[in-house]
Amino acid sequence: MPADTTPQGDRAVLLLRLAGPLQSWGDRSAFNRRDTTPQPTKSGVVGLLAAAAGRPREADLTDLVGLRLGVRVDQPGTLLRDYHTVSDYRGLPLPQAGVNAKGVQKPTSPSKHTHVTHRYYLQDAVFLVAVEGPAELVTALGEAVTRPAFPLALGRRSCTPTQPLSLGVRRGTPLETALAEEPWQANEPTRKAHERQAKRGQAPRRTDRVDLAASFDDPHGDDTCRDVPLSFDPRRRGFGTRKVRHAWLSVPTGLRAALPTEPPADGGHDPFALLGW
Amino acid sequence: MTYLSRVRINPLRAASRTLLANPRALHGAVQAGVPDQAPGDRILWRLDTDQPRRPQLLVLTPGKPDWTHLVEQAGWPDAEGEHYAVRDYSPLLAQLALGREYAFRLTASPVQNTSKPTGGSTHRTRTAEELQHRSYRLPHRTAAHQLAWFLDRTTRWGFTVPEARTDTPAPGLGTPDGDGEAAREVRITDRDRRTFTKPGTRTPVTLTTATFEGHLRISDPDLLKTALLEGIGPSKAYGCGLLTLAPLPGTGTAR
Repeated sequence: MPADTTPQGDRAVLLLRLAGPLQSWGDRSAFNRRDTTPQPTKSGVVGLLAAAAGRPREADLTDLVGLRLGVRVDQPGTLLRDYHTVSDYRGLPLPQAGVNAKGVQKPTSPSKHTHVTHRYYLQDAVFLVAVEGPAELVTALGEAVTRPAFPLALGRRSCTPTQPLSLGVRRGTPLETALAEEPWQANEPTRKAHERQAKRGQAPRRTDRVDLAASFDDPHGDDTCRDVPLSFDPRRRGFGTRKVRHAWLSVPTGLRAALPTEPPADGGHDPFALLGW
Repeated sequence: MTYLSRVRINPLRAASRTLLANPRALHGAVQAGVPDQAPGDRILWRLDTDQPRRPQLLVLTPGKPDWTHLVEQAGWPDAEGEHYAVRDYSPLLAQLALGREYAFRLTASPVQNTSKPTGGSTHRTRTAEELQHRSYRLPHRTAAHQLAWFLDRTTRWGFTVPEARTDTPAPGLGTPDGDGEAAREVRITDRDRRTFTKPGTRTPVTLTTATFEGHLRISDPDLLKTALLEGIGPSKAYGCGLLTLAPLPGTGTAR
């Protein structure tokens, strides 16, 4: 990875907030079952940046693939399975893979009228994605994301992102620091639930900070992801691997620190509390 | 000098069962805790049973009481901890000021008076002479009426109940022409109908009570002081009318 090849001053970090009603980040799915990984993939983020920069599908991706990626899970979301059927509107049987002598697809035999496909989505998820690279390239990408050349999508063309997508470019800060310093991006119900739990003394003990899962590109990482795009050309698609390190970040929530309150003694109503006790 | 007492009651003892079941018996036990009573003295009490296995008796007395007899008959005489607590009430009375907010709890007996009752119970067929020219006092028996009874009278007792913080309804979900009256920071936590007889009479005494809990904001400290010391509504001898204040939850000590 080129993380240590250039001095820190020439590098910058672009922060993207990937949030929307639906997201879908597939890494190895094919045919009728389309999975989603629980976090954005590198190919998805690189594709989004390439679309923003207006690069055609055949364009060279080496500079984008060389960027260092960090993902923070601000709100994990839930998995949605979309049960999806495909039929021919004329009532004809669906075509099969084989072709006849003229090169036209033959109908399935015995005839099959409906394809059942499963598409998986993440619903209500929020991710903070940081991309670190040469300052010049990252700044240009930050500009491009605010004025994208092609429509941007969260892993799938039907999954449109919500605003704000770009949280700006940070100069002179390493990727880990930029991810750890950015405030929590979760939506209001999640923040309220966090505050309630902390006040009730359940799992999160403090309201002003929250622990979030994160993963970084790291040559010494112990996980391998096969989601590095070699080319988005439809005829020459291919994926490489990268090493990933997983970690937890303690992140400011933007909520006030909770006062240490004790549970009330008797049913919440203690008249003696006002009598100098 | 006024004192507030809290006595813990052991619900498994025979004497406690009589006391818990019969407000008249508990009235007698409470009266027995105060040695010297001037004619105008008002003793207020309330039984808090929000923890059913640890009922607590709260008593407001004009003089310093002694609850040894209650502990011996209906408490845990040899147990650890404080059998009863007695505290001077003046720190609370001294901090009453316009605009201050407290949590409150009140068990009251909401009633209405009418000179022309409908229905045919024996009580209502009595003549005005038998009733000593008094109109008929009838209980409010639905929660809506009991709440309306309470909210109608709060300014008279020197406080107001602030409006409840509620979210604005989503478009199309609210009522078309306003909501009428806004919800208040008060709820009825308990409603009860108790019947008991007094010796020498065959007509049972019927008591319809409601326990109110919520937030109040003082609008007249003097009126509130009167309401605190002299009680609210009828049936004060039978555990109704004692208004207690506590710190608002979530505000620490609120002193």
